[in-house]
Parts: sequence; C-alpha cells; structure tokens
Amino acid sequence: MNVKILYLYPDFMSLYGDNGNVRIMDRRLKDQGFEVEIIKRTVTDSDIDFTDVDFVYMGSGFESNRNIAAKHLAGFKDALVKAVDDGVPMLFTGNSYDILGKGITTADGSFVEGLGIFGFTFKEQIEKRYTGDVVLEDCAINERYVGFVNRAGVPENNEELLFDAVKVIGNVPMTKDAVRKNRLLGISLIGPVLLKNPKLAELFVNEICERKGVKAKDIDYPHSEKSHAVTLKALMEAEL
Amino acid sequence: MKIRVFTAILVCKIIRGLAKLAGRGSSLPGKYALKICPDILSQLKLPELSLAVTGSNGKTSTVEMIAHILRSNGLKVAYNKEGSNQIEGVVTFLISDSTMGGKVKSDVVLLEADERYSRHIFKYFHPKYFVINNLYRDQMTRNGHPEFIKSVIGQAVYDDMTLILNADDPLVASFGKGREGTIYFGADNLPSDTKTHEGIYDDGKYCPVCKSPMEYEYYHYNHIGKFKCTSCGFERHAADHSLTSTQEKDGKASITIDGKYEIPVFFTGIYHCYNILAAFTAAVTSGIAPEKAAESLGGYILKSGRISDFTLGKLDGRLLLSKHENSVSYDRSIDVVANDKRKKSVMIIVDAISRKYYTSDSSWLWDINFEKLCGSDVEKIILAGQYCDDLAVRFELAGADPDKTVYFTTVQEAADYCAHNLDSFLYVITCFSDKEKILSIVTRRELS
Repeated sequence: MNVKILYLYPDFMSLYGDNGNVRIMDRRLKDQGFEVEIIKRTVTDSDIDFTDVDFVYMGSGFESNRNIAAKHLAGFKDALVKAVDDGVPMLFTGNSYDILGKGITTADGSFVEGLGIFGFTFKEQIEKRYTGDVVLEDCAINERYVGFVNRAGVPENNEELLFDAVKVIGNVPMTKDAVRKNRLLGISLIGPVLLKNPKLAELFVNEICERKGVKAKDIDYPHSEKSHAVTLKALMEAEL
Repeated sequence: MKIRVFTAILVCKIIRGLAKLAGRGSSLPGKYALKICPDILSQLKLPELSLAVTGSNGKTSTVEMIAHILRSNGLKVAYNKEGSNQIEGVVTFLISDSTMGGKVKSDVVLLEADERYSRHIFKYFHPKYFVINNLYRDQMTRNGHPEFIKSVIGQAVYDDMTLILNADDPLVASFGKGREGTIYFGADNLPSDTKTHEGIYDDGKYCPVCKSPMEYEYYHYNHIGKFKCTSCGFERHAADHSLTSTQEKDGKASITIDGKYEIPVFFTGIYHCYNILAAFTAAVTSGIAPEKAAESLGGYILKSGRISDFTLGKLDGRLLLSKHENSVSYDRSIDVVANDKRKKSVMIIVDAISRKYYTSDSSWLWDINFEKLCGSDVEKIILAGQYCDDLAVRFELAGADPDKTVYFTTVQEAADYCAHNLDSFLYVITCFSDKEKILSIVTRRELS
C-alpha cells in the first residue's frame, strides 16, 4: 500500500535539520510495510495538491522565508483547511506553526496573514532570539515532550494552546505551546522533533494506519526511546 | 580629560593587574571600566589603522594571521585573544594597551569581533576595515540563524568603514550591495569544485536580496561558490584578491594567491585557504606590499591545532577538530575522511554540545552530510557520548550499515572497543567541548 507524504517548502523552510522529521516518518512508514512517496512542494511551484495525501509536514525557516511561504501557502488555503477538516495528519514545527493562526506582526511592523485555522497571533522583533531547551507536557495524556525553541516571536494570546511548558532553559517567554485540530499538530519545537519524541512519531504513524484501515504494527525504536529519556532527564535536572 | 575616563582607565588597569596575578580572565576589568564610564570606548584615542574580523568560522585563525603579517612588517599590533571578543573583553584589551591618557600605544588595533556583539562595540568606535569571512549555520541555539546574524552584523556596519568581504558567500557578499569601495576576496574555479550542490541543505538556493532562485556556475563547498540570482541580478562580485590554485606535491602543500604569490601551507583545506586569503587581503588593503604579506604568511605555522595525531594501542589515528552545532565544519572533516583511501574507521563524539552553555539540542546533526561518510567505505563507525542515540538514529537514516556501526555512552568504552577490535586507521571527529575526552586517553604524536 502506498502513502504520500507532502513535504512543504523543504528547500525554503528547513533550517534546523527539520528534514529529519520527514525522514523519520519515511522510515517508520516503510517499517509498517507501506511504500512511501514524498512529494516536495516549494515557493516556485504553482500548485500544491492536498487531495490523497496521508501526511503533511512543514518546518522552520528564516522569518523572511516564512513570510513568503505564508503568502504562497495562502493560495492553497481552502484545500489545506479541507484536508485538516478531513483529518489528514499534519505536523507544523518551529515558526511554520505561527502561520496556522491569524497572522504575524513582523519586526518591521507589517502584518503577514496566517491561515486562520487558529485564533492566535504572533508578534516578532529582531533585537534578539528567543532560544532554549524546553519540556512540554500534554496533561490530557500525561506525556512529556522535549526539544528546542528558536524563534523571533511570542504568541499574543495562548488560550488555545494545549501543552504546559514545565521547564524552560533559556530566554523563551513560554508558559504554553502547541495547538491541535483533528490530526493537525502545530508545535514550536524545532528540528527533528520526532527523533526525541518517539511518542509523537508513533501517534502520527497510528493515525496514518487508521486512515488507511490497517492496524499499526508494534515496532520498537530503542535509540529514539533512549534519546528521549536521556534528554528528558538532563533537562529536568538542569539548573536554571 | 574627564575624571571618569581617567578613573575607568585606572580601575581597569589595576583590576587587570590583579586578575593577571590570580590567573583570571579578561572580561572583569573591562566590566568595571564600563560601569564607571559606559562610553569608555569612544573616549580612547585609537591609531589610524584598525581592523575587525567577524564571521561564523575562522575568526581567530584569520586575526592571528593578520597580526602575524603586520608584526612581521614592523607594526606594533594590539589584538584580542580568543574568548575576549565581547565588549568587556575589548575594553580590557584596549585599555591594557593604552596610556593613562587613553591613547592606544600600538600602531594597529585588530579585533576579533563576535557576530552578535559587534553592534554594541561599534556604537563607540568604527574600525577602518571590517572583514566578514563567512556566514554559516553556526551555534544556532545562540545565534538564531544566519539571516538573523546578518541583520545584527548589519547594525555594526557604518558608512565610514571599508568592508572586506568574501565574494563567494552570497549572504556575506550582499553586505557590499550599493557600497562603493568594498574589497572582495574569493576563490577561482578549482579542480575540487563541483557543478552541483553537495550537502543536506542549500543556503545558496535562494537569493539573499530578493529571495528568487539562484544559479551556480560551480560550488567550492556548501553554498560557497560562483552564484547569480535569476531575478534581481545580484551575483558574485569580481574579487580584488583571489585564491588561484592549490597544489600538493612530494608531501609539500602550497596555495597561490593572485596567480603569483605562492604560500607554503600545512594543509590545503578550503576553509583554511579562505582564512589565509582573508588575512592576505586585509593586510594588503592595510598597506602591506603583497609580496611581503605572502612572505610573512609563508613563515607562519597555524597554531590553532585543528588536527592532532595520536596512537591508541596499536592504532594510529587523527583527530579532526570540528564544531558541534556547525554542519559546515563537520562536512569539511567528512571530506577529509572520504578522500582518504586507506582502510579507515571513524569515531564521532557528541557528549557535551557546548562548553559555554547547556543545551541538549542535536538538530544540527541532521544538517551534516553523514550520507557521504557512510558511502565512503569506512570499516567501522563508532558513535560515542551522551548523545550516541541521537547519532545512532541519524546514522541509521544516513544509510550506515548496522553491522559496521557501534555506540557507546562514554568515550572510554568507545576507545577500549577501538583498541581491542580495530586494525584500521582511526579518525575522530568531535568538537572543542569534547576533544579532551579522547585526547586524555590516547597518546599524542607529532603531526606527520
């Protein structure tokens, strides 16, 4: 059986080794017995087709790139929103997560329209970066996620945000993070989030299998599990 | 002279003296001087010739080479050693070199300028020449990303400075747009160049000015090469000074600048060539005759110790010092291993990601071209350190043969494994923050 991964802006929004997420999904889906097709779409493409895709990923970029990508993606907003409503699993990490909201006030004061799937807005500045290791907690399922935040902006309201930041090592003004609608997850963490958080990778694999009508095989990924455990322990023990 | 300027200088000199006796660092005296007189830097009388060097990689080497050329040619040079490139350190070293009246005694002030802090330092004084060597993805846990660094370096650039830029790095070269009198250095088409981009990511794919796609005639490495925007016309600027060739014969290596200045070097690694070329260009622009600059560089032995040879049990090995959180530096080390046709193994150590701050971020591993390493006929890949599991997943997806890959949480275990199980040459790739963990186990040898 074939699964299609739609990788959005791989050459334009892949700043922090974000390619790792797609590669991890590719491997895990192959381990499940699927044939995996990775469809790459970027700013020079005149079409992005969301029909029949099984997983969508978008990563981080320079803020200037993210703004251009946001405008480009706005041209396919209806199709994207329909895919979200249809329950297509999607992962937006780093500052691509910002465009899921109403928009971003950039450092020069201009406003970049978001996709409007959520109500939040971001406000950015250029004087410094907000960076730090964080531990996020999803209280609903008692699960902790680890990773790194590296961004120029802060959310202006966080009512919809799901996870509690239980530890922040760095200057990131963050108490909550991440949004979810159907099977779309947006999260501030950068880079190969699915490496250090095997539970998230498993969640997406299970969702994809479920939509394909097959039962997901139970496969162990001991290195990923250990990476999560080592990092979680180190971060929880790190002194602020 | 204002009393607070005098007091700041006095206090700085006294604390510097005491700190030196106690073997302490160089930022404290400057910190006190700044408290007493926040604009102390603008109160000092600098010599006419001043240079600053910034960039992601090679600042220290470049500054040391410039200092060497200028000193060999009879100039008295004051420069800040590694680790004191933030404002406090700069204040300390300038006051250390100044009279009680605040006059800097040296003929030349040479600054290794931190990418993020130059904007604070150059508020108070402007170096005559500002060298920008390269802008890579480097320590992004602190630096954000290259375009952010470009914007903060931009805040340190003033109209009265002359920029000396790497013509082959599009992000760096874009500083020269619309600035007359900018000096460029770059490499000509070299035999080691590629027509297509090599690497996991391509930071030269889109124009830094207008964001349209760019085209390259050739790449020296990563996004460094001869580029041209397909839309706005931004393109590689002709270089004032060029690396025209590199040669290695009979175990002797040299590089040629401007087609006529041959400089013997220890190794011809391209990043090293750029540092030499930057230093040559800065010195010549400062008024040193090119043949004199080349002659001084020829007698200079790079001290920074990027390479260390060792034995481990019966094994011979070489440590290639790279920088964690800097994929370009890893990629260059991988080139060295891939180009070595001997039977070889390679150990990668990622234990402490930084020596200066805490982070567990290993995302940069996914920007490194480990695929090239895995495809280069390596006997064994030994992954070591606290983050060996992050490495393990990365190598698995890079196509490493599981039968050839081993992992150890500690460097000691990894070294023991190598000593007992390998019979090939052993390369070790790691960072400053982790190098002692292997060097304390092995026996160092003279470089061969």
